[in-house]
Amino acid sequence: MTAVIHEQQAVPQPKQHGKPGGFLRHTNIVTGVVLGLVLALVTYAIGGLLVPWGTENSNFLQVGESALVAATYTAWVIGFMIGIGAFAGPIRWWLGHDLTHADAEYLAGKGQGRGKYWKYTTDHKVVGIQYLVMGLFLLGFGGLLAMWIRTELGVTWAEVFDPNFYNSIIGTHGIVMVIAMIIIAAGPLGNFIMPLMIGARDMAFPRLNALSFWLLFAAVPPLVSNLLLGGMRDGWTAYQPLGTQAPVGMIGYQVCIITFAFSTGIAGVNLFTTIVTMRARGMTWNRVPVFVIGILAAAIMGLVWFPMYQYSQVMALSDFAFESAFFIPQNGGSVWLYENLFWLLGHPEVYVIVIPVTAALMEVMVVFLRKPLFSYKIAVAGFAGVVGISSLVWVHHMYMTGWSPAANYPFMLSTELISIPFGFLVLVMLGTIWRGKVWTRLPMMCVYALLWNKIVGGITGVYLSDVPVDQYMHGGMFVVAHFHFMLMGAGLFGAMGAIAYWFPKMTGRMLNERIGSIGLWLSFFAFQLTFGSMFVAGLQGQPRRVLQFDDAFNVSNWLSTIGAYLIGVGMMIFLYAIITSWRSNVIAPSNPWGAKTLEWQTATPVPLNNFPVLPVVTSDPYDYGVPDPYLAIEKKLSDENQDTKVGAR
Amino acid sequence: MSDLTTKSELPVPRSATTGEPVITTARRNRLGIWLCIVSDAAGTVALLVAYAYLWSLNVNNAWAPPKDTWADPLPFWLIWAGAVVAALAMWWAVAGIRTGRTGQFITGSVLASVVALVTFIGQIVQLSTFPFDITDGAYASTTFWLCIATALHLSVVGFLTSAMVGRFRAGRVTREDHSHARLVAMWMTWVCVAVFLGAFFATTMNTSPNTNSPTFGTFQE
Repeated sequence: MTAVIHEQQAVPQPKQHGKPGGFLRHTNIVTGVVLGLVLALVTYAIGGLLVPWGTENSNFLQVGESALVAATYTAWVIGFMIGIGAFAGPIRWWLGHDLTHADAEYLAGKGQGRGKYWKYTTDHKVVGIQYLVMGLFLLGFGGLLAMWIRTELGVTWAEVFDPNFYNSIIGTHGIVMVIAMIIIAAGPLGNFIMPLMIGARDMAFPRLNALSFWLLFAAVPPLVSNLLLGGMRDGWTAYQPLGTQAPVGMIGYQVCIITFAFSTGIAGVNLFTTIVTMRARGMTWNRVPVFVIGILAAAIMGLVWFPMYQYSQVMALSDFAFESAFFIPQNGGSVWLYENLFWLLGHPEVYVIVIPVTAALMEVMVVFLRKPLFSYKIAVAGFAGVVGISSLVWVHHMYMTGWSPAANYPFMLSTELISIPFGFLVLVMLGTIWRGKVWTRLPMMCVYALLWNKIVGGITGVYLSDVPVDQYMHGGMFVVAHFHFMLMGAGLFGAMGAIAYWFPKMTGRMLNERIGSIGLWLSFFAFQLTFGSMFVAGLQGQPRRVLQFDDAFNVSNWLSTIGAYLIGVGMMIFLYAIITSWRSNVIAPSNPWGAKTLEWQTATPVPLNNFPVLPVVTSDPYDYGVPDPYLAIEKKLSDENQDTKVGAR
Repeated sequence: MSDLTTKSELPVPRSATTGEPVITTARRNRLGIWLCIVSDAAGTVALLVAYAYLWSLNVNNAWAPPKDTWADPLPFWLIWAGAVVAALAMWWAVAGIRTGRTGQFITGSVLASVVALVTFIGQIVQLSTFPFDITDGAYASTTFWLCIATALHLSVVGFLTSAMVGRFRAGRVTREDHSHARLVAMWMTWVCVAVFLGAFFATTMNTSPNTNSPTFGTFQE
């Protein structure tokens, strides 16, 4: 049942200033990059004349050099954002030149072909595809660094990389993958699919949507370029005071995180507001698809905790560039302050990654099992529990730092407690599969992969949450294997399933499941080899972040390296399936899986306004086998009419 | 019956871009601003936690600035007072436009804008006249950043309040659709809270309670 909400032409329009789109007609990624580079170079040139070269500060760093690099990176970000057109909206608003309907349609990319993907386009579907491509790029780059790491660790008879460069690879790989995993599900699917799923025409704030993506884009070059400026040698956590004593490459990391946090915060505001205020008529909270709940949970955690991480990097950058004293003990700072602020986001970030993919695969399960989700309410309770308790577990990363030994035990308890709502999610998935008749397609295969990896990662996490166990295991390869099972095993394999499921809606093409399945299963078994061996190495006592170790660990490392290369091959096969399917002529029908959620009820490719008329929800998204109540009413009315006719005779 | 018919025939102001009633978009924007405030508050809390944490630890006995030259408390409270006056002026302006008194709106907006600008300049003056440098220990660093955060907040306030003047002149703020003015006032109220917290911490928590601080020495020794 549907209803027309409004007629666009009837709405009085503000004055049209110039052609629709205005200044943004002339901006795109090229103008952004050019202006960013020009502003960065000008800043560096002028700053170079001002800094007092030749003297070192108390951290043995060149005075002024770090401030200059920070200013240069900041200039890049600001210049790029000016060049892409991000400031046009606020300036127009300031002047009172509000958008007309024609402006809004131009900004949404109407009639611009593929060029809209390279512009400050506001359409949520374009932003979703932009996030997808950016996520794949980051995964590729992070994966390449992972291959280098495994090459170094697998070649046990020689040193491949300079140790400092090796440590920088470790740190860069870590943060690139964390960013990639945060965006790979919530970015493409949260932006492209979620508004369709709730029956909305767009996100609540379309221009903020474009802003969040292009801020992410601007944040990446500083991070990648850190490898050329001495690198970041103390891991993705950038612990202090090592972070302040690092080469200036560390500033690339800090500027990246500060910018990325703005991007995430804006995206969180947008996702939250869209879900709360733009659901279709009839979509009460108990009818909201579980993926939407998962996105909401991730948005809440990102909104509250990302600023902590962002400010930790603001303070770290201030210490680095201006010699302030937040984290420098000899000047009154505290490294524990950094660790607290960092892990206040650092741990919830795991759930920001895992919750959306788990929720996405719950959507997959109900479709490929053709049965309702096993206890929707327990799933929602699980998400709520994880969000709530995630703010009370961060200290388990600091058991052995000596910060507050008395605090270890309450946090041990809270960390073990979070396994309960997390267990709810696993049980809901297992309960849904139980006695189900499975339609085995590629997305469903990813459900199995996710479940296995999540169970292994979850159980090993419970071990590590114990203070006595952590005393032995922390800083070792066991921890590395554990968090890879969660972030990559659950996060990435879950994202693969979600992308495979929604690929037909996003691209208008069917994914080549045969090739995709080969990539998936090769990656999956290679993943077990890689990180299973790493568990063994960890139990044997191999420390992390070192490139030279005892011969006793050789076999585990050889196996891990072989596994890592095979993961790389598997991922390339999966990527090949994505690219070739996207370019193929196998047109996808609008609802190839016969799913009941709203995104499948509109045409493919999805029209600019998503739905010709806004939908009204009359039934539960998962009640497979239960007749649509609207149809039941129609049938009843029809039967009554029939009876009346019979009676009249 | 006839009364109902008359009401339904009144033109409902609608968004030019989406065609929705502005009351719908206003509600959405209000939630968005609340969430922005939540996110900004989390960042402000991070700064305040840093201040309180370092104050309580007094690491290396280096919390206090050299010779205990604490910042003068008066400017902190004057800046807070400026933020409050600007916010009150904006709320007064909103109250005016709600009842159709456009003169009250423009007076309130201009007043808020001018006060915000003066307060911002005052914040810059305070930052540049502190009796210590950002490198002079943990108190100096945290106080500098609390003030920098205030300056950033006030610069946003200045942008928003001056926009209200421009938007009114362009006919974008009316009795029927003044939701953006209300959002600006909401943001300014939060800024008052943030500035107050910063001022409260920086003026009441000076000497560290920890007189037996851990000592790490310095690289110079």
